[in-house]
Amino acid sequence: MHPLTLSRRALLASVASTALVAPVLAAGDPGDPIRKLVILSAAQASDPEEFQAAQLLAQAWRQLGLDIEVRGMPRPQLADLVWNTRDKWDMTMWRMVGRPERSDPDEFAYNLFNPATAATGYDFIGYMNPDYMKLADAQRAELDKEKRKQILYKVQDAINEDQPYIFLVYPKNVLAYDKNIWKQQSVIEQSGIGIRNFWTFLRAEPLTSQKDMICNATEAMLALNPLYISGAIDSWLTEIIWDRLMRMGPDGLPIPWAAEKVIQVDPLTVDCVLRPGQKWHDGKPMTTDDVVFSFKAPAMADKSPMYKPFVASIAEVSATDDKTVRFKLKAPSAAFAASTLAKINLIPKHVWEPILTDLMNKPQNAETVQEEHPVGSGPYKVNRFKFTEEIVLDANKDYWETPKPDRVIMRIITNTSAALGMLPKGEINFLTDYRGDPKLLAELAKQNPNIEVVSTIDMGFRFLAPNQRRPPFSDPAFRRALSLATNRQMMAAAAWNGFAVPANSIISPALKFWSKPGIDDIKMDMEAAKKILKDAGYILVDGKLHYPAGVKETIAVN
Amino acid sequence: MSYIGRRFLHMVLVLWAIATILFLMFRLMPGDPSTAYIDPTFTGEQRQLVLQQFGLDRPLYEQYFIFLKNLAHGEFGLSFRYRQPVLGLMLSVLPNTLLLTLTALFIAYALGGLFGALLAWKRGSLLETASIPIVLTTRAMPDFWLGMLVLAVFAFGLGWFPSGGANVAGARYASEWDRILSFDYLRHLALPVLTLVAYLQGLPALLMRSNMLEVMREEFVTMARMKGLPERTIMLRHAARNALLPLLTAFAISFGQLIGGNVVVETVFSWPGLGRMLVDAVANSDYPLAQGAFLVIAFVLVFMNFVADLFYGLLDPRVAHGSG
Repeated sequence: MHPLTLSRRALLASVASTALVAPVLAAGDPGDPIRKLVILSAAQASDPEEFQAAQLLAQAWRQLGLDIEVRGMPRPQLADLVWNTRDKWDMTMWRMVGRPERSDPDEFAYNLFNPATAATGYDFIGYMNPDYMKLADAQRAELDKEKRKQILYKVQDAINEDQPYIFLVYPKNVLAYDKNIWKQQSVIEQSGIGIRNFWTFLRAEPLTSQKDMICNATEAMLALNPLYISGAIDSWLTEIIWDRLMRMGPDGLPIPWAAEKVIQVDPLTVDCVLRPGQKWHDGKPMTTDDVVFSFKAPAMADKSPMYKPFVASIAEVSATDDKTVRFKLKAPSAAFAASTLAKINLIPKHVWEPILTDLMNKPQNAETVQEEHPVGSGPYKVNRFKFTEEIVLDANKDYWETPKPDRVIMRIITNTSAALGMLPKGEINFLTDYRGDPKLLAELAKQNPNIEVVSTIDMGFRFLAPNQRRPPFSDPAFRRALSLATNRQMMAAAAWNGFAVPANSIISPALKFWSKPGIDDIKMDMEAAKKILKDAGYILVDGKLHYPAGVKETIAVN
Repeated sequence: MSYIGRRFLHMVLVLWAIATILFLMFRLMPGDPSTAYIDPTFTGEQRQLVLQQFGLDRPLYEQYFIFLKNLAHGEFGLSFRYRQPVLGLMLSVLPNTLLLTLTALFIAYALGGLFGALLAWKRGSLLETASIPIVLTTRAMPDFWLGMLVLAVFAFGLGWFPSGGANVAGARYASEWDRILSFDYLRHLALPVLTLVAYLQGLPALLMRSNMLEVMREEFVTMARMKGLPERTIMLRHAARNALLPLLTAFAISFGQLIGGNVVVETVFSWPGLGRMLVDAVANSDYPLAQGAFLVIAFVLVFMNFVADLFYGLLDPRVAHGSG
């Protein structure tokens, strides 16, 4: 019976539309019904939280009279579809992950909604708002921290107003360690990152004769290379092997590190005064020459494509005396400290200059170089590595702040449950990578009082990206309605098992200094959502949402 | 001789076909390796650079010829993710996989074979009635489940064995041989081997049993009985030896399958082997590494078949002179 009724209605509709070809559409007559909308998501098996969140969104938005389908697929396929065919999808689940240098909001504020990148870069949703970009440019050029904060509040308000993303949650990072082995106060929690960070690796105090910090990683490492951003796990170790002029502090703000002082001489000039007496792991002294080379190397002939963007703001770098390095910038940059000085690995010129020179006439780039004995100047030296098995680092006793642990040992443990079991047995004593159910970890801690679990709100976030190249998502009112019809509290509780908090900004509350207080307090209000749609001209006909009067559906469901 | 030549040619053809299918399969799968680099600072220009660097900007047929040419030279190319030669990467984990696989296979086939012979010998006894369901059950158990069970009991429960990896954290050894021959390595090897043995023993046990039953009906066994030889001698010297042949083939083929098929056991026990590397490569669109790993597996499988065929030819001349 059902198909028959449908086709009869379709027939009537087509008769009606032919009858109304030329004549005036009365104001208030509904436009075309909105087509079925598709939410793309990672497959349930690969990311159950994301898939469930998508289901919850679909359920809620159906109450607005929308026909919504959730389509799960393998992540590479999803990324390929979203990235390379930008007008072929409606909505996709997406995420931003936290990294130390992202503690400065510039990377997100400037890149995510930049119309210049809409064709092939990160503005894959096709959001175009010149007013927003003015604010994004302004925060980047403002060197006064307080003033910049006020501009970033406006950035967050603009995003809240326009809802270019439907933000969902900031997940929590859950990690654990054995507090009989590591002194509790000395394990440092870095905002937006968690307890696995540079500061903990450097300063965690051993309480027993076990002075090895034995950590776990769920996937194999790929490389130990200061010119290749090879993956998250690799970065945990590269950042303690190769030192940096500045470091992102536990509060998410950059502090001088291998540079004793960082001086803003004028808006376009930054001087870094090196800490005296620093040495490379091979015993040779670190000079200003090495530092200058470190900031030039990433831009040399495209041999380090992944680090190149992080030195793009530098016009010139040179040594002014034997302990000072001067940076001349192309434009004033508030994020220079975080995204360049605290990001670029210091590398010894005597090691890398010959390597890069040799590569100049070859097709390979610096990412293909794996030193047998990597040489940095950071608090840990490489002892040995087997990327699918175990990486052993020794404390660098010549470092100007002696690391508290003797060694950092990273074991590749592919079985998450086994990693959990290893913690109370002492086979690992620091759970640095946990991707399982946080509840299981909490239970384990209950049974083993020596295990301390620390959960930290991530600086990354999960969101739904509506494709603004396609109606109805091109209409901010429509996006606002979707956002209001979203129950983030329930989503955090149900899809993330309580290990997440509601989100409504590109700046996580973990970044206390920059996050606008109250911006994430957004409650579901179905009635308000319906009212917004009604006020914007959308009309419900027989429980199905139609476009405002005169608007035709131009896109076929795919 | 012409038999060997024919079989060899056949082997090369099969390998070429597999290489071609692998090549196409990975490139026709949705998604390309550049999606791994999507990042707020990642531009379309950079994407082109990545594709160019991997040679993925060239037409498919051109990629295919380069691939075949390299393969003929024994080159598998650079891994997209590790940025290192595929061959070296595979060789670095191959010893672990070989040790795990061969140890488990030998134990499974020795125990399974003997047990199968025993079952045939004691046909109709309580032992046989009770054992066959047990053998079938362990063979049918999913190996990840069995692995987790073994871990729960022997590592977390009793604490006799470590929970994963190939060595205790940070252990120092003078050389790779020292490491492999160390007691620590053996302790780490124990649980994955136990799991694999439990999973593998069913086939040799049942195969041996049915072969024995068949052989025991043959005239030479009756002859031996008539000569008045002791039952044990008849069973082990005469019957079992003749029943071993099909077991040899099964062993060869299992070896080929297991080289890359240990994925589950390797993941459960965090054993750094080829299977795990293969799964990672597939999941991350690392075509050269995945192709390389699959090719090695295919090669071992085809080669072991070839060897088994040769053995058959030697042991049973009728095979070599047959028309096929």
